[in-house]
Amino acid sequence: MQNLSIFMDIESSRSYVDELFSSEAGSVVEALVALKNAVIGSNRQKSSVIQQGVVPRLLQLSTDGTLDPNIRLEATITIGSLAKGTPENVASLIELGSATTLIEILRTSPVDSKLTEAALCALRSLFLHPQAPISALPADPSLLAHLTQIAREGTPTSRASIIRILSIWCGGSAQQDALCAAGACAAAAAMLGPRAPQALPALDLLAAMCFENAAVSQCAINTRHNDKSVPALLSSLAGRSQPLPVALGAARGLAFLHRAGALDASDPRVVYGALPCLARLCTRDVPEEIRATAAETLAYLAEVDTTLQRLAAISNHLMTSLADIVTCPSAAAKQGAFKCFASLGANDEDIRKKIIETYGLMLHVVNGMNNPEPMVRLAAVRCLHSLSRSVQQLRTTFQDHCVWRPLMQLLTDSPGTELLTVGSSTLCNLLLEFSPAKEPMLDQGAVEMLCALTRRPEAALRLNGIWALMNMAFQADQKVKQRILCCLGTEQMFRLLGDADTRVIMKTLGLLRNLLSTKSHIDAIMQDYADQVMQAVIVVLEGSYPCEVKEQALCILGNIGDGERAKDLLMDNEDVLRKLVDYLAHPERSLQEAALFCVSNLVRAGGAGAAARQARLAELGVLRALRLLQRRTTTNHTVKAALAQFNEFT
Amino acid sequence: MSFEIATNNLHEKQDKKSYDRNKSDDLQISRTDMNMLIMNYLVTEGFKEAALKFQQEAGLQEPALCSSLDERIMIREAVQGGRIPEAISMVNALHPELLDNDRYLYFHLQQLQLLELIRAGRAEEALAFASATLAEAGAADRTALTELERSLALLAFPDPHASPFADLLLPSHSQKIASELNAAILKMENQEYTNPKLCSLLRMILWSQNELDKHNVKYPKMTDLANATIEQIHKLRR
Repeated sequence: MQNLSIFMDIESSRSYVDELFSSEAGSVVEALVALKNAVIGSNRQKSSVIQQGVVPRLLQLSTDGTLDPNIRLEATITIGSLAKGTPENVASLIELGSATTLIEILRTSPVDSKLTEAALCALRSLFLHPQAPISALPADPSLLAHLTQIAREGTPTSRASIIRILSIWCGGSAQQDALCAAGACAAAAAMLGPRAPQALPALDLLAAMCFENAAVSQCAINTRHNDKSVPALLSSLAGRSQPLPVALGAARGLAFLHRAGALDASDPRVVYGALPCLARLCTRDVPEEIRATAAETLAYLAEVDTTLQRLAAISNHLMTSLADIVTCPSAAAKQGAFKCFASLGANDEDIRKKIIETYGLMLHVVNGMNNPEPMVRLAAVRCLHSLSRSVQQLRTTFQDHCVWRPLMQLLTDSPGTELLTVGSSTLCNLLLEFSPAKEPMLDQGAVEMLCALTRRPEAALRLNGIWALMNMAFQADQKVKQRILCCLGTEQMFRLLGDADTRVIMKTLGLLRNLLSTKSHIDAIMQDYADQVMQAVIVVLEGSYPCEVKEQALCILGNIGDGERAKDLLMDNEDVLRKLVDYLAHPERSLQEAALFCVSNLVRAGGAGAAARQARLAELGVLRALRLLQRRTTTNHTVKAALAQFNEFT
Repeated sequence: MSFEIATNNLHEKQDKKSYDRNKSDDLQISRTDMNMLIMNYLVTEGFKEAALKFQQEAGLQEPALCSSLDERIMIREAVQGGRIPEAISMVNALHPELLDNDRYLYFHLQQLQLLELIRAGRAEEALAFASATLAEAGAADRTALTELERSLALLAFPDPHASPFADLLLPSHSQKIASELNAAILKMENQEYTNPKLCSLLRMILWSQNELDKHNVKYPKMTDLANATIEQIHKLRR
């Protein structure tokens, strides 16, 4: 090789490209080596080669089994180098079908060959691209079995490459299950040795496979390598002697195993392994990006378990560390800290108090809701949601910082579905009766926004919308109630009563109950909406709804029965009265009691027309039903009281 | 009063330290340990023949030679002999991903090539080469740009060897890059130690002295590592 590669400029050397088509194997290899040496290390040369259209020829040379093995190897290595160029270079390679070709090479080459190694290195570079060619790798059991065999028996570079590729590829339950069936747990476990520099991709693969997948997680905890189980291997990698990214990856794996139900919240490997490791990685002297991920992982680990939340709150000055991470410049760090605070304060009032009082978090949360990064805004709202579970905080800090203002702003500013879900859940809490934020939020158009939510296609949003309206209507003044009814509209109310989600129906009926409370409100609302309300109740009572829904409908009747003029609406409706009698004899206790509640309101002595009502009810068999009830349940005071009213009459 | 006592204590401590040092001959360092350290140096740095000779003369066990030792020796020879394209080609054959992953190292190798051209007085070629290949790295990396400027500045002097940047033309520069490359190859092969353990020991001395200096402690300082020259403590006292 006289003219060595370092002087070769691709643009001015067409001859090398021509040589790639030579029939002489030697010339082709020579040209390939020259091309390879020219492109390695230089993005400019890579771009130039790709622009000249050499890639298809390289792909062809790499797959042709009839060619000299060296030709195939050098061609594949050259593709691998091109894949280490600019994102545009990688995108072109993917577009030209390189990923599919490389996988074809893997299918047909021996596990421990140089060609397999070169193909895997190239494929790994393609997969590290943001638009990884996931679909090029089908979930074909025989192919996956072959790949996991490489992960166990290939050269060290091959093993690390395939594990990394699979860790990126694995992004859903179908892929998780397919990998597990192909034995990927064992392959990953084999790379979790105490000093293995390869541990990182294996940790990522395990995490990707176990994420929210109970079956795969169960398989993982039963997998052993060198007589140690995967959780034990992870625990030792989460130790202080390990490099920080490895410890983080190991703790993350343990956290995922816990959340997928494979490790109990009290498991020592969770309590003494993952938790303290993550708390340690949140401390000040750790690099910011590691702290960010550690805080986010800890948030996920402790999200549902109160014991873990309490434990984390007192671990290694975690709260102090998190308060410091909130002030870090990067969006990822702020997000991680907010999420972690949200988790810690999810259930325990003392922790919430500590978060707000000791670390003055509310100001950061309000700032976070105004952050230009959407993920920070979302995390800040999550944190607010968690803290809003505290009655005391709703009355104090929330009010001091007017948190409803930025929240309403976010929710009316065309937010994403996720933000809308968390934000409207927070609103539900802010709108609780005792919250002083209620009034100003009404002025901001909360009713209109919530009514719009009930028209969303996402069940969670409809639920939050109607739930918040229900809370808003609780003990509200009549003006607010009229505004809700007027804005929601009876048509929408009927639509919600036919919702596929039972919880939505429950809250809709709950809203009706709250609207129809206190005598004057009942009469005023029934005057305008009698037909619709009665129709709604009958729809529910006659439809095939679960008991708890029918119970709500009966309670609405009960409320109506509490009104002055509204009573007559019931008394005039024989159909409804007969239904009440039937429900008094219903085998389901809760329905029986709800019907009884309504009847009690109707038979109450005193007031205009009480005697006539009692006579009418007795005629319809209410008295008999009550006596039957009394015989069956002697201890029921309501039955006795209702009968007593009748007795006065008879 | 208490101040006086404290000062006395300090003096006593210092005396004790220098006393210890004088008696350091009592501390045993086994010959085997020394031999192992030297062998580790020879193997890691790729002195294969010297390692085998040393093994014979010192009566050691067969040294654990890495699989790539022969290649690493050839690569080192090529780098130090100024045959850079050959070295790059060998590195690419041994570890195709290495120079793509470590662009700064690749830049250093190309810089050596540039220096070869300058050394040979082929100024025009040097400029053409720099603009064709090195400019790319310079544009991406500020450190590389500064180094590139230093290299090209050599062209401005009639005798580059007499210029302020002559250090770039010394054999020690190419040796430094050769070691950098050697360590990168070892790292690629997942060797636990990419640097000779002797280097780590010497670094430890420098670090300890640095720490002592930071705390203004007086102690016998090693001022010349190569000759293990130690400054006498009384010279430090004023």
